[in-house]
Parts: sequence; structure tokens; C-alpha cells
Amino acid sequence: MRIETCYFCSSRIYPGHGIQFVRNDCKIFRFCRSKCHAAFKKKKNPRKVKWTKAYRKTVGKELAIDPTFEFEKRRNIPIKYNRELWSKTVQAMKTVEAIRQRRVNTHIMQRLRKGRELEKERDIKEVQRDLALIRSPAAGLKQKKLEDEEDERMEDSDTEIKAEALEVN
Amino acid sequence: MTYKRKKHHKGVLHLKKSWRTKRRTKDLDEIDEDLKEENAKQLINQEVDLDKPGAAQYYCIHCARYFINERALQDHFATKVHKRRLKALELEPYTIEDSERASGKGNFKLPQKRKIETIETDNDINKESKIMKVTD
Repeated sequence: MRIETCYFCSSRIYPGHGIQFVRNDCKIFRFCRSKCHAAFKKKKNPRKVKWTKAYRKTVGKELAIDPTFEFEKRRNIPIKYNRELWSKTVQAMKTVEAIRQRRVNTHIMQRLRKGRELEKERDIKEVQRDLALIRSPAAGLKQKKLEDEEDERMEDSDTEIKAEALEVN
Repeated sequence: MTYKRKKHHKGVLHLKKSWRTKRRTKDLDEIDEDLKEENAKQLINQEVDLDKPGAAQYYCIHCARYFINERALQDHFATKVHKRRLKALELEPYTIEDSERASGKGNFKLPQKRKIETIETDNDINKESKIMKVTD
């Protein structure tokens, strides 16, 4: 007895669940529930349906390529029971699962970080564009005008002083 | 692909009928298999079968359809249905192995894009295989 995988959503199918379809080229399509079976009958592409594993992996939402995925496989060779081997395998499964969980978490965190960066960029852009809402573009114009006038007056007085000095000489 | 259309009174029996197993048409991964050189040659040069439309002499591999004469086949090659099918075949089709890889049994492989052109004669098959080799 085996825990099969669903053709459409790649979830696990436990014995006694789901339905299977054998195509006329002898390929067996297993489905976990009628939802997946109906989608298959309608010839939907699992890579384009958002709730499937295939979609999430092609789009990069989930960790897709990692050495930890190489352990679990369909092996068609029966192995004779060996207590030592069994206990070792179970232990290995646990450690592999722990490592994979850590990698999956970092993958998700990296994805989120990227989103935060984009958000910050967008915020900065928005502030720069709509700065007029925070600080009026006319602010400081009056003061600048006053300062300019004062400068001119000072320059005028400077020239007058120079002219007087020349006359004295 | 047929989607469920909103019909308020008559139901969707006509769609459900088209989804029945006895009306099943070839899937994209089966057609992908047909496009391989030896299979394509067989499909193009079929023996005369009077039960099939056009005695099985005018076959479109990409759409898995028989036509009644050369004219109908050529007209079909110019249609949107055929062009859409060529486009759909560009990406490698989804298979059972892909579904297993997606569930975590082995690394997931992204589908590759290929160049697909209409196959009419044996010469086209050879051309196609060359193109595929180049992309590999």
C-alpha cells in the first residue's frame, strides 16, 4: 500500500480516497477529490491554477529546487525488513525534514524581504512626487524676496561708499 | 478549453457532455509524444482507413484531427484554433512526473520553451527535429 500523489494538486492520497483515471495509453492519473478530477476533465493546466503545488513552485512562491527533495522517491524495489535500517531511516527522515523546514522558512523570508524593499521604494517615490502636500512650494518665497532686497540695498551702499572714496582721492 | 458559462435556465448539460470520457480528445502530453520523429512520420503517412474522415490521409498532428481533403487541411492550418494549439505546445506539457516532483519527490523542473512549427510533410519533421536539437 502506498500514499499516492494527486495528479492535479500534488497532495497526498491515502488508501481508500479519491478516484483514478486510466488513459488509453495505460497512464494512471490519480486524483485526491472530485475537485481535482473535475478540473482534469475540463483539461485545466495545473501550472496555471493557483491552488496547486505546481503553480506555487513554477511561480516561485515555494522552495522548488533543493537537495533535500532528493530523498523521498518512488522506489519500486521491495526491501527486506531490517530493524537497524528501519530505525536509521526514521531518524534520517526526521533530520532531513528539519533541514528542509529551515530552508523553506528562509526562502519565504527572502521573498517577504523583497516585498518590503519594493514597498519602501514605492513610498519614497510617492513622497517625492507629492511633496507639495507636506511642504508648500511657495513656502520661504517671501523670506527669500526680503533677503534679496536687503542684498541689493547693501550693494548699492557699497558702491556709494566706493564712489565717495574715489572722489576724496 | 471550455469554461462554465453563466446560463440562468438551461443548465450546463451540453458542457458536461463534452467532458465525458467517451468524448475525450488527446491531451497535450500525448500530442507532445506524437510530435517525436518516428511517431510523426507514422501519423502523417497513415494507411487508407475508410472509417476515418478523408480516409485518414489529411491529419493535423498538433490538433489531433482528421480532415476530409487537402483544402480543408490547409484552411485549418490558417485558423486561430490551430495557431493557438501551436502556442500551447510551445511549453513542455505537464505530466504525471511533474505532479510528483511538485509534491516534493525530487527537484521541481521548470518547463522549457521550444519552437513548434506546423508539420505537413516528412521534410517538416526533419526540420523540426533539427530545431529542437539546436535549442537543446
